[in-house]
Amino acid sequence: MNTVNKKVWTAYWLATAALFAAAVVMIFAWTPTEATMGTVQKVFYLHLPVAINTFLACLITFIASIGYLWQRRQVWDDLAVSSAKVAVLLCSVVLLTGMIWGHSAWGQWWTWSPRLTFSLVLWLLYVAYLVIRPSIESRQRRALVSAVYGVVAFLDVPLVYLSVKLMPDIHPSSIGLAPEMKMTLLFCFLPVTMLAVGLIAARYRLQRAETLSMQQADDPSSNMIAANPAGGFT
Amino acid sequence: MTRVLREIMLVSAKDLRIEARSRQTLGLVAVLGVLIVVVLGLGLGPQQVKSGMAATAVLWVAYLFGGVLCFEKTMAVERHDGALAGLMLAPIDRGVIYAGKLISNLALMLALALIVTPVAVVMFGFDLSAAPLGFVAIMAGGFVGFAAIGTLFAAAVSSTQSQGGLLAVVVFPVSLPLVIVSTQMMMRLFGEGEPLGAVGLTVLIAFDAVYLVVSWLVFELILEP
Amino acid sequence: MIAITAESVTPLTDAEITTATPAVRMRGLSKRYDERWVLRDITLDVPTGSYLALLGANGAGKSTLLHTLAMLSPATRGELSLFGESAARPSPALRARLGMIGHQPMLYRDLSAIENLVFFGKLYDVSRPKQRAMDMLERVGLADRALSVVKTFSRGMVQRLSIARALMHAPELLLADEPFSGLDVPSVQAVSALLAELHADGKTVILTNHDVRQSLELAQRVVVLGRGRVVSDRRAQDANADEVTREVIG
Repeated sequence: MNTVNKKVWTAYWLATAALFAAAVVMIFAWTPTEATMGTVQKVFYLHLPVAINTFLACLITFIASIGYLWQRRQVWDDLAVSSAKVAVLLCSVVLLTGMIWGHSAWGQWWTWSPRLTFSLVLWLLYVAYLVIRPSIESRQRRALVSAVYGVVAFLDVPLVYLSVKLMPDIHPSSIGLAPEMKMTLLFCFLPVTMLAVGLIAARYRLQRAETLSMQQADDPSSNMIAANPAGGFT
Repeated sequence: MTRVLREIMLVSAKDLRIEARSRQTLGLVAVLGVLIVVVLGLGLGPQQVKSGMAATAVLWVAYLFGGVLCFEKTMAVERHDGALAGLMLAPIDRGVIYAGKLISNLALMLALALIVTPVAVVMFGFDLSAAPLGFVAIMAGGFVGFAAIGTLFAAAVSSTQSQGGLLAVVVFPVSLPLVIVSTQMMMRLFGEGEPLGAVGLTVLIAFDAVYLVVSWLVFELILEP
Repeated sequence: MIAITAESVTPLTDAEITTATPAVRMRGLSKRYDERWVLRDITLDVPTGSYLALLGANGAGKSTLLHTLAMLSPATRGELSLFGESAARPSPALRARLGMIGHQPMLYRDLSAIENLVFFGKLYDVSRPKQRAMDMLERVGLADRALSVVKTFSRGMVQRLSIARALMHAPELLLADEPFSGLDVPSVQAVSALLAELHADGKTVILTNHDVRQSLELAQRVVVLGRGRVVSDRRAQDANADEVTREVIG
């Protein structure tokens, strides 16, 4: 990687970190504490932006999956798996913050409320995406199965949402927010989205490098002579 | 149109003839289903079992695992000796191959349900007589969506060597909405005695439509000899 | 059993071949798997009624090319047309003009020989499929095993049945991927006689093979592929076996 790229990259992460720090200050010093929930309510400022970014990551996986089915190029698969990994990470945060919320609101870590169930199913969908990959040996078949899965899983999201609507609900459907709270919430979107995008990009670069080295290793027509220091029997 | 239907029936009749001759799949799947019912019955114990509602959940577990085996087997028939390439060479639409496989899978799942359901109903003391048609409608709706997605992934995942368990991990998560909807509807139907509403059925049919259309579209892209 | 050998067939004259519409027309055909090109810029015409052998080392792209010609998987770049019709979106009618003998037999092992043939015959809308299937079994010398299940067949019998399957609908173009691999000497003779008979009937035959001498004997024309490219393209009667072998080795 050239130095200009490196500088941009460093600046990006520094900016993200600074915005995160600002967000934390805003959440704890500036925004009023919610009356009934107390301090625990502050987890909400993280919860919602992360949830939205989970969808963003799932959407990128979906688009990359369609791209793969269309063009059959490994780059699409690399992008799809990178954003799926970030989606699982973000969804874990959503689940955990949701559970913290639920624990303080209803005294239970887990309830089969529609929204918690929704997050759980979403999490399972994309965890499955990641765990099926290593069990398919052929790189092309792995990419193909993943792409089909990436498409179906994303289209599944609204179906999951509709299906959990049938469950009995105790979740608040809307929360009244003070103006400062709204401001803080909006501001929190900025660092969280930057973090999500940065993570996907970083993961994608790693994935690309991995794929390229694999391709060289198993491509007999490449000019590189396969390293065989032990002098095998071939 | 009639030509397409004839082709679909041809593909699926061939599958069922092979199954009737080898009797590999149905025997395996039926015994697996009954075993699942028995294991869960033993695990839940007499008190839980008598509550009645456990039966629908237990049945879903049996159908899911049995169904995945059906999908694997019907696709393995094509993978063996490259028969799928023979189908792909033929002057038929790729969609015909998908529809034929889907019907074969549904036929096998229906046979599985006919064996496993009575066992579960008896063992779990489930009062099916309260709404037998509602039960059939909900399960049929669930089966169509599940088989639609299963047929697609069986074609994507399958290769000649067995991929034990892989198809299940792929198909179960994406089938969860169907499980949630149908179990919720069962609870209302049998637990609370509400009649089967048009809304619930519409949701189920809409789900089936989404799964069928997506699978049919993607199937064409992924089919490889 | 048919007793025609390759030598007894009178090949079409050059004039006859060039005036016909090409059965297969490839223009800059390329195919990529991942980031790797397995077929590169292949431009060839295969005239109707000709008999062509594709030679090449393992991984040269022979099977991939044959699969592409069979429209089993699309080319990444370039144009392919069969009998003047584009293969990009093949019509069912175009598929019906083509038959293929694959590396694998493409048969259902739990069905009998006759059931297999009737099934494929019905897919192709062959009229009177049972009668046609019996005729085909007769031609490949399997009439007495019509009711036996395929999994009880030997390798040679499976290959002959596979040829009967490919010919059920009387295709005008036959693609054969290594049709002689794993066969004993009598089966090789039977299969090569069947192909020669088809050629004599005016059908187009394209086969892949790794046996250079055998290909020169059977085919009119030999094309050598290497790393996905056409290395050479000769009339079989002008070709020197040693020279072609050197090209195959690369």
